[in-house]
Amino acid sequence: MKKQLLSMTVNGEEVNLAVTPNTTLLEVLREDLGLTGVKEGCAEGVCGACTVLMDGNPVRSCLTLALEAGGADIVTVEGMATGGNLHPIQQAFIEHGAVQCGFCTPGMILASKALLDRNSDPSEDEIKTALAGNFCRCTGYRKILEAVSAASTGHTEPRRKE
Amino acid sequence: MSRDEYSYVGKSIPRIDSRSKVTGEALFTADLKLPRMLVGKILRSPYAHAKILDVDVSKALSLKGVHAVVTGKDTAGEKWGVFRYTRDQQLLCVDKVRYVGDEVAAVAAVDEDTALEALSLIRVDYEELPGVFDCRSAIEPGAPLVHEDRPRNINVAVKIDVGDVEAGFKRSVLIREDTFAAEEDSYFMTENYAVVANPHADGSIEVWMPNASPHTKAKALSNALKLPLSQVNVRKITIGGAFGGRSDVFPAEFIACLLSLKSDRPVKLVYDREENSIATRMGHAMITTIKTGVDPDGAVLARDIVSYLDGGAYSSTGPIATSVPYLCHEQAYRLENVRFHGYRIYTNKPVRGMIRIHGRSFACGIDTQLDMIADELGIDPVAIRLRNARRPGETTPTGSYVASCGMVECIEKTAEASNFLEKREKRPPNRGIGMGINSVQTGFPLGIRGGSQAFIKFHEDGGATVVSGVVDNGQGNDQMLVQIAAEELGVALDDVRLISADTEVTPTDAGSYSMISTFGGGAAVKAAAEDARAQLFEVASEMLEADPSDLVARNRKIFVRGAPDVGIPIAKIVRKALILGRPIMGRGSFAPDVDQRREWISNPKGQLSQAFSFGATVAEVDVDPETGRVQALEVACAQDCGFAVNPMLVEGQFEGGVAMGGQGGMLGEEHRWHQGHVLNPSLLEYKIPIIKDMPAITPIIVETIDPGGPYGAKEAGMSVAMSAAQAYCNAVGNALGIYFNHYPLTPERILDAIEHKKPGIQTAWELEPARIIKSE
Ligand code: FES
Ligand code: FES
Repeated sequence: MKKQLLSMTVNGEEVNLAVTPNTTLLEVLREDLGLTGVKEGCAEGVCGACTVLMDGNPVRSCLTLALEAGGADIVTVEGMATGGNLHPIQQAFIEHGAVQCGFCTPGMILASKALLDRNSDPSEDEIKTALAGNFCRCTGYRKILEAVSAASTGHTEPRRKE
Repeated sequence: MSRDEYSYVGKSIPRIDSRSKVTGEALFTADLKLPRMLVGKILRSPYAHAKILDVDVSKALSLKGVHAVVTGKDTAGEKWGVFRYTRDQQLLCVDKVRYVGDEVAAVAAVDEDTALEALSLIRVDYEELPGVFDCRSAIEPGAPLVHEDRPRNINVAVKIDVGDVEAGFKRSVLIREDTFAAEEDSYFMTENYAVVANPHADGSIEVWMPNASPHTKAKALSNALKLPLSQVNVRKITIGGAFGGRSDVFPAEFIACLLSLKSDRPVKLVYDREENSIATRMGHAMITTIKTGVDPDGAVLARDIVSYLDGGAYSSTGPIATSVPYLCHEQAYRLENVRFHGYRIYTNKPVRGMIRIHGRSFACGIDTQLDMIADELGIDPVAIRLRNARRPGETTPTGSYVASCGMVECIEKTAEASNFLEKREKRPPNRGIGMGINSVQTGFPLGIRGGSQAFIKFHEDGGATVVSGVVDNGQGNDQMLVQIAAEELGVALDDVRLISADTEVTPTDAGSYSMISTFGGGAAVKAAAEDARAQLFEVASEMLEADPSDLVARNRKIFVRGAPDVGIPIAKIVRKALILGRPIMGRGSFAPDVDQRREWISNPKGQLSQAFSFGATVAEVDVDPETGRVQALEVACAQDCGFAVNPMLVEGQFEGGVAMGGQGGMLGEEHRWHQGHVLNPSLLEYKIPIIKDMPAITPIIVETIDPGGPYGAKEAGMSVAMSAAQAYCNAVGNALGIYFNHYPLTPERILDAIEHKKPGIQTAWELEPARIIKSE
C-alpha cells in the first residue's frame, strides 16, 4: 500500500510522517511516536482505553484512521502535564485513589478533560454519561467519579477527608 | 499500637505508582520496544477436538522476514501443570488439539503483517474427533475422552467427609436439597495478555508478562526450557489487572522464549482481546447440589454437597479450583457434619482457572438455600446467618484454626447500614434486598514458594531501597510495602525506593494469587525493616549513650523515647555505620504457619491458611418484571481485612469487588457457546459493568487485628466480590419472590422465571442434581 503524508499537531508539537491509508491513529501514536500512554484494550471501539482528544473531542484512536487526523490537534495523556505540573484531573485521580492497575487511566483522564473543558461543573449524571464509554475493571468507578467531581470547579476542596 | 500512633500504616495515602500511571509513563508489557525486536504470533486450533496428523511449516519458513517457526516438534511434548500429577497441557500440541484455540505452531517475523502471512502458510492436517462440551455428557460412560488416560473425563475428584452427616440429617427438623448452576464467566482485565522475551549472549533470558507470581513463572519456564533458574529472569512490569487470570503459566510465555532463542532476537507476542479470552483462562461453569438439614432455630446440623466443575481441556489449578468453593463456605459457616464431593471434569473448551468470584453456583446456592430455609422456619435472613456464622477461636471442619474473625460484625454492620430488616419488611413492589456472606483464605500451603523474604539497604543520605518478590497486579501491593517500610524505618515515604517482582534480584515470594501479599510479603518487609532499624539503633545507642530498647525511629531521626528534639538524623547514623564497617542491611522473612502436609486431594486436612478474611454484602435492587432488567440501588459491603494498611485502597478493592462480583458477575456476565466455540469472546458482546450501571456503595472496613498479620492485616478484596454476587442474587430473588438457581441473572432468565413462577418455597428451575460419580 502506498504511503501518504500526514501532518498533525500532537501534544503541541507538529509532526509530519508518511503512513499507509489503513494505519490507525492508535498505531501511529504508539508505534511511530512512542506515545504508549495510548492503550489498546479491544481494538473495536468498545473499551475507551485508546481515547485521545482530537480538536478537543474524545475519539477512539483504534477506530480512527491516522489520515483522518490530518491537520488536527491531538492530545494524548502524555500531553496533559505542563512544565512538570500535573493537570488538576491527573492530580485528582492520584489523590482520590482512582487509579488501580492504571490501564484505563489515560482514556479516563482524557474523556474527563473533554467533559470539563466543555462543562466545568458537571453533575454526577453528566460525568457518568461522559465516561460511559470507558471501561474500568478494577475500581467499580466510585473513586473515578469522586476524582472527576473534585477536579471540577464546583469542588475546589478535595472531597475526601483524611 | 492504635491506628493514631502510626505514621503511615492505616492511612489513606495516594499510591506511589499512580503518578506514572496518570502521565502515561508506566509501561505495560505491550508497550515494550527493544532493538531488533520481532513480532510473534500463534497458530491455534480451529477444532475443539482433533488429531494432528501433520504440520508443514516449510512455506512459512521461506517467507521473507520470518526468523523462526516453532511447532510441537521443537518442544518434544513438554507439558505444564500446576502439580506434578496434573501435568497435562503440552506447551505446543504434538498429537492432539483439545479446544478451539489450542496452540499448534508459532512464528516470529519482522512485523505483524509478515507474521500473520506466515501463519496462513502453515499447513496442518487434522482428523476431527467428536468432542464433549458439558459436564454431564462428558461423564457419560462411552463419551469421547479429552485425555485418554482419564476415564469418564474426570480430571480431579476431591472428597471431604467430616463428622457424621447421616446422623446430622436424622436429627434435623427440616431437610432441603436444591441444585444450582452457573455458566462460565471471565476476567476481562483491561490489559490483554502480552509477553516479551529477550535472549542474551550469556545464555540467560529476560521475560516480561502480566503475572501474579514472577517466581512461579520463572520456575516453570526454567523447567520447560531446561535452563538454570538463575538464568530465567522474569522482570517487573506494570500489570493491567489479574483477578485470578494471571496466576497460571501459559504456553505463550514458553513459545515467546522458544522463538527468541531460535531467532536470537527479542520477541514480543501480544494477544488480541479474543485470544485473551480463550487462550489464557476463564471461570468454570459449575453445577452444585446442596442438601442441608437444620434444627428448629435454623442451625445447620448436616450438609452434603456435590459439585461438577467444567474444567475445559486442561488441569490448570484444578485441585485448588475444585476445593476452594467448598473451603470458603466451611470457613464462613460453622458446620459439624459435612460432606463434599467435587469433580472437575474435562471438556473440549478453553481452560478454566480461579477467578475473583470463583464458584458462583456454590456460594450463591448456599446463601439462596439458607434464605429458603429461613422462610420455611419463619426466621429472618440476618438471624439465620448469625446463627450459623463462624466465630473467632473456632476450627473449620477440615482443621483450620480461625484466629481472627469478624463475620458477625460484618453481618451486623451491613444489616444496620442498609436498614436491612425494615426494608425487607416494607418493600415497594419489585424491589428486593438480599444479603450474602463469605470468607476467603490468606495464602495456601505452597511448600518452598509459600513464604516471602525481603532485603533493605540504606543510602548514605538516609534513603532506603526495599527489595521484595511481591508483585503488584494493580491492587496496590507496591504502596503497601512502601508504607510498611517507611513506618518501621522512621523515614519519609519518599525516602523509600522499591525493587520488586524481578526474579533476578528479588527473593522468592508466594505471589498474589493466594491473597497473601500483605500477610506474607508485607510481613517480610516489616521484618526486614525491623532488622535494619535494630542495626540503626545499635549504632545510634553508642552515639546517644542510650539503651537501644529506649530508642525510637521517626521523622528521619532516631531519638530516645520522649526526647524527639535531641535525635540524630538517620543519614548520619547510616554514614557512621559505614565508617564502623557495620553497614545497615535489613533482612526479613515470613513463612506461613500452615500444615505443609495438607494436600488438596490426598490429604485435605490441617491448617490451610494462617488467616481468613470474612465479608458480608447487602444489595438493594429494583427489578422491571416487563423487561427482566435489574437496577441496583444501594450496596453496603463489609469485610474483615484484619487491619487496613491503606483504607482508601481497601475501599477501592471493595468497590471493584461489588462491580465485578455483584453487578457484573450476578447480573449478566457469562460466556455463550456453540459446541466448543465461544460466541462472545470480545468486550462488545460480553458485558462488563460501565460507570452508569453502578449503584451507590457504602464500604465498611472491619478490623479484627489478626495475631499473625503485619499490624493485624490479612486479605482484602476477594470476600466482597464473592459476597456481592450472593447479595445481588438474593436481592433479585426477594424482589420477585423467586429463588433463583441458575446464574447469572440475565433478563432472559429473570423473565423465564417470572413466567414459570412456582408456588411455595422452591427454586426457579428444576435442575438435574449433581450426584456422586460411582466408578471413581
Ligand atoms: S482499544 Fe479503542 S476502544 Fe478499546
Ligand atoms: S484501574 Fe484497572 S482498569 Fe481501571
